[in-house]
Amino acid sequence: MRPVLRLPIVTAAAVFLTAAAPADSPVGVREPDGYWQGALHGYTPQTLAGATVVDAGEVAKLIQEHKPVLLDVSEIDRKPAGLPPGGLWFPIHRNIPGSTWLPASGEGELDAAAQDALKARVADLTGGDLERPIVTYCHPDCWGSWNLGKRLVALGYRNVHWFPQGIEGWQDGHDTAVSRPDARWAARPKSTVGQ
Amino acid sequence: MASSRRTTALLAGLTLPILIAAGSAHAAAGDSDNQRAERWGEIKQQIFGDAKIQSGGKAVKIDAPKRADDASLVPITLTVPDKDNVAELSLIIDDNPTPYAAHVVFGPAADPSELKLRVRVNNYTDVHAVAKMKDGTFQEATEYVKASGGCSAPMGMSDEEAMQGMGDMRMKFGERQPGKPVQATLMIRHPNFSGMQMNQVTRDYTPARYIQKITVSYGEKSVFTMDGDISISANPVINFGYLPDGAGPMKVTATDNQGGHWEKSFPVRSASN
Repeated sequence: MRPVLRLPIVTAAAVFLTAAAPADSPVGVREPDGYWQGALHGYTPQTLAGATVVDAGEVAKLIQEHKPVLLDVSEIDRKPAGLPPGGLWFPIHRNIPGSTWLPASGEGELDAAAQDALKARVADLTGGDLERPIVTYCHPDCWGSWNLGKRLVALGYRNVHWFPQGIEGWQDGHDTAVSRPDARWAARPKSTVGQ
Repeated sequence: MASSRRTTALLAGLTLPILIAAGSAHAAAGDSDNQRAERWGEIKQQIFGDAKIQSGGKAVKIDAPKRADDASLVPITLTVPDKDNVAELSLIIDDNPTPYAAHVVFGPAADPSELKLRVRVNNYTDVHAVAKMKDGTFQEATEYVKASGGCSAPMGMSDEEAMQGMGDMRMKFGERQPGKPVQATLMIRHPNFSGMQMNQVTRDYTPARYIQKITVSYGEKSVFTMDGDISISANPVINFGYLPDGAGPMKVTATDNQGGHWEKSFPVRSASN
């Protein structure tokens, strides 16, 4: 027997339907009412209510003109079980230079401690300025940056930009920099994390 | 079960690790290049210790697509002009989480002039080949490859389907002429699961299951042994050269990290004239 599906049937069906469409499908994926709770990898909507969708050129322009806060939501490479003992496991992450890497901040659900930590960290990075431009990104077809963008809109930030092409869209024409998970975000209380 | 399998197959469409867009080449010298050089320095230290590796030499050359169509199937060709003096080749994909993709030790029946294999590339990266010469010195070559997502790209079928016929081997022999090296192509059916591939429906990671060692011999003599890991593409295909001295057969063994062991002997017809 296959393991029981963990996703609710409705979500699985939604994933199924969106997956059937080609990558740049004219069939729009609709914005969910809340945060996306399904698999983080999948077709995303073309919009994010309350935020501006940007491409790599627009991100570069923003960086030049407005010094936005750049938030990378990519997941950390997970070490697979079964690698040879003594083998070389040596992951590296590159993103847009100057970014703050907040892995797991785009999960569908954040516990209260993570929400507080995120709110405090972003307030710190923006200097508490709700008008400060912010860009959220991860990889193409990644709901994490969409969820984080939506969270920031909900927190009252009025200049949120979502960059759906993410690192892949950026690195094609621009330099990347080695990045490490943000230390203060990583040090958040994790009493209920670890599911 | 049937429907979840179908879903998985369809889902593969959205995880295709292909990224094609117009863009400039790898930027000129700058922070990014310095960081890549630093990365290579760290990897070298971990694999080769303090051995001095000479760059800019001609012992080995890498041919790889500048931009790969499929990051889970990137063809790499290692050319060795100085074939009589090369003992080993290492292939390193710097930005893969497991950078040491393959280590090949040539035996007396090898013709090391050309070795081809297919690898997974996780992100835009430098790829390095290091040749260990028979005199114990090392030479390196490098190439920059644009591909992304290869290590986590699902196979587009269920795990059960991907494992069907696991260990089946085929061998194609190139043209044979008396006294000349022959090119051969070894194909092994094996999913080489990276352990980083997630089933998008169940959200389970398929455990890593990959070929660790391949040995190829001709008659009593070794052609090569190769240590590989999760950076080698599913259903490994390796092109290599050998010296058809004697009647063979060509014998291949493959073992994976979960105790799988397969052997096959391929009869070799002698050259036609």
